[in-house]
Amino acid sequence: MSRRGVSGRGVSRRGVSRRDAQAVLPARLNGVLIALILAFAMVPILFMVLMSVTPDSDIAGGTVWPSHLALDNYVRMWDTVALGSGLANSVLVAAVSAVVATVFAVGAAYCLTRFTFVGRRPYLAVLVFLQSVPQVLLLLPLFMVFSSAATYLGLPLVGTRLALIVAYLTFALPLATWVMVTYFRKVPESLEEAGLLDGLSRFGTLWRIVVPLSWPGMVVALVFSFLVGWNDVVIASVLSHPDTRTAAVDLQVFGHSIEGGAIPQYGQLMGASVLCSIPVVALYLGFQRYLVSGLTAGSDKG
Amino acid sequence: MSPATVLPGRARGAGPSAPVARPGRRERRPLWLMLPGLALLGLVVVLPFGLAVWMGFLDLDQYTLRDWLGAPFIGLANFTEALTTSTMPHSLWLSVTFALLTTAVAAPIGLVAALTVNGRVPARGLVRSLYLVPYVIPQFATGSLWQMLLQPDGAVNKVLRAFGLEGSNEWLIGPPAFWALVAVDVWASWAFIYLMALAGLQTISTELYEAADLDGVTWRQKVRYVVLPQLRGPLSLGLILSTLQHFNNFTLPFVLFGSPAPEAVNVLPVNIYQTSFQVFRFGLGSAMSVLALIILAIPAWIYLRSVRLDAKPQEAGA
Repeated sequence: MSRRGVSGRGVSRRGVSRRDAQAVLPARLNGVLIALILAFAMVPILFMVLMSVTPDSDIAGGTVWPSHLALDNYVRMWDTVALGSGLANSVLVAAVSAVVATVFAVGAAYCLTRFTFVGRRPYLAVLVFLQSVPQVLLLLPLFMVFSSAATYLGLPLVGTRLALIVAYLTFALPLATWVMVTYFRKVPESLEEAGLLDGLSRFGTLWRIVVPLSWPGMVVALVFSFLVGWNDVVIASVLSHPDTRTAAVDLQVFGHSIEGGAIPQYGQLMGASVLCSIPVVALYLGFQRYLVSGLTAGSDKG
Repeated sequence: MSPATVLPGRARGAGPSAPVARPGRRERRPLWLMLPGLALLGLVVVLPFGLAVWMGFLDLDQYTLRDWLGAPFIGLANFTEALTTSTMPHSLWLSVTFALLTTAVAAPIGLVAALTVNGRVPARGLVRSLYLVPYVIPQFATGSLWQMLLQPDGAVNKVLRAFGLEGSNEWLIGPPAFWALVAVDVWASWAFIYLMALAGLQTISTELYEAADLDGVTWRQKVRYVVLPQLRGPLSLGLILSTLQHFNNFTLPFVLFGSPAPEAVNVLPVNIYQTSFQVFRFGLGSAMSVLALIILAIPAWIYLRSVRLDAKPQEAGA
């Protein structure tokens, strides 16, 4: 019942011509509710954008409308915060961990969905369990591992970008693997059998048949693993030094340093916040169809 | 012929219950593909988990950190301190109430939002995208935004005072901070419930609605007797996940209030962070982490049970 196929739904929906049976609420109430929810969701966002082009003196004076467009907030913020290096670090660290996580995830997920072997179920359970564990719980022991590497092996890791990448993999890898597991389950094995009959090895079928069919799943895995690093504050605030800091930590530090000032530079803070949000919002809008299914991938039910 | 062109016909032909010819036993399974992920998980998850437990038994601080293997073993002292004299019970209570309250407030918003865009409405794609914006922007940006809005002379107080309410000068520092955190987290996260509910709504067949229409039910009855029963599965899963996410949220309280956090919002993740990295009581922090993990295992276990952990496509039909 609940496993109704996508195609079946499409047909039945097209069959309805006169009324929209899926619309449950009365049309007028529906319109009012949409307006209310949109206002609730978007007014703070619009305010963020508006304040990012408002002069700091206006904000301090308690204005809601800028006296003039202070686009220079977007220029000056690069000097006020180390935003350039922060963004570069964020992109580098998040991208590397996302690519590594996805590549490893494809191989692991293929085995997990195609073969039975000892430890397979526990492995799947660990993947899901790790997604309900807060990062801060693993941060302290990870910090100990990294600082022990310095003490006992002479490898200074704390403060390096490598440490950040490895730490993000802690969460990106289980996430990406689970996304790929749910995706590979939908790729019919009959396709692979054709490949196997034609003499391809198992690895060959994975590489030539499964992977080309699975790029939407891999995009989801890539984007979500990327966001693990991009959105993180807690790990980077402990494991990075000022010159390896990510934009998220730069912003958090900046936000708390300006509170006491005479004229807090909220315009620039909002500018930087808008800038850090744009890539994420763009990713979501660009890949919405795939990402939304991935957001609920953890809940893939039979 | 590209593989993609084979897909639809083959896929439908196989069907969920069709017997699939198993390849011969002799084939070589490339299980080595598991190794990189397995090794990495061992290094960054299993080893740290083990360490966390061990460290919980040590008197470990910034002085003993450098040679932490030689730190004094103090048995269960850290664990008893965490559970009795430390601020952990308070934080735990805060986190639980915060997580449950936030989920309870966010759930109706998400459910109603899903209902508004399941039917045909003008610019549905745009509305659906805009609903998601507060959820997808990074939480550190959300935190910065609301940190500005909640200042004593910030926009929140201005709006409240325009409606004749008193507002507060302590949204970010005093007892009202708890309510500020609830409100901001609801704003940032209701769309998760919305997504789960919308996904659930899309599995309800049109025939069911049409049958209800034929019976001449009101829209309230439709919600009560058609929609809600059908949404029980996805919604309850959404509620569990959402509660876990709120319980685990570190970024939002950390960015909003800083650390050390005001007592009213000293939620468990922030408390563990502060104990570990600002007071440098590594042993106590570890003990708290382990205890938190044990507590989290309960909702996580419920979650695990409700997820289809292990089903190959063919086996699912059985």
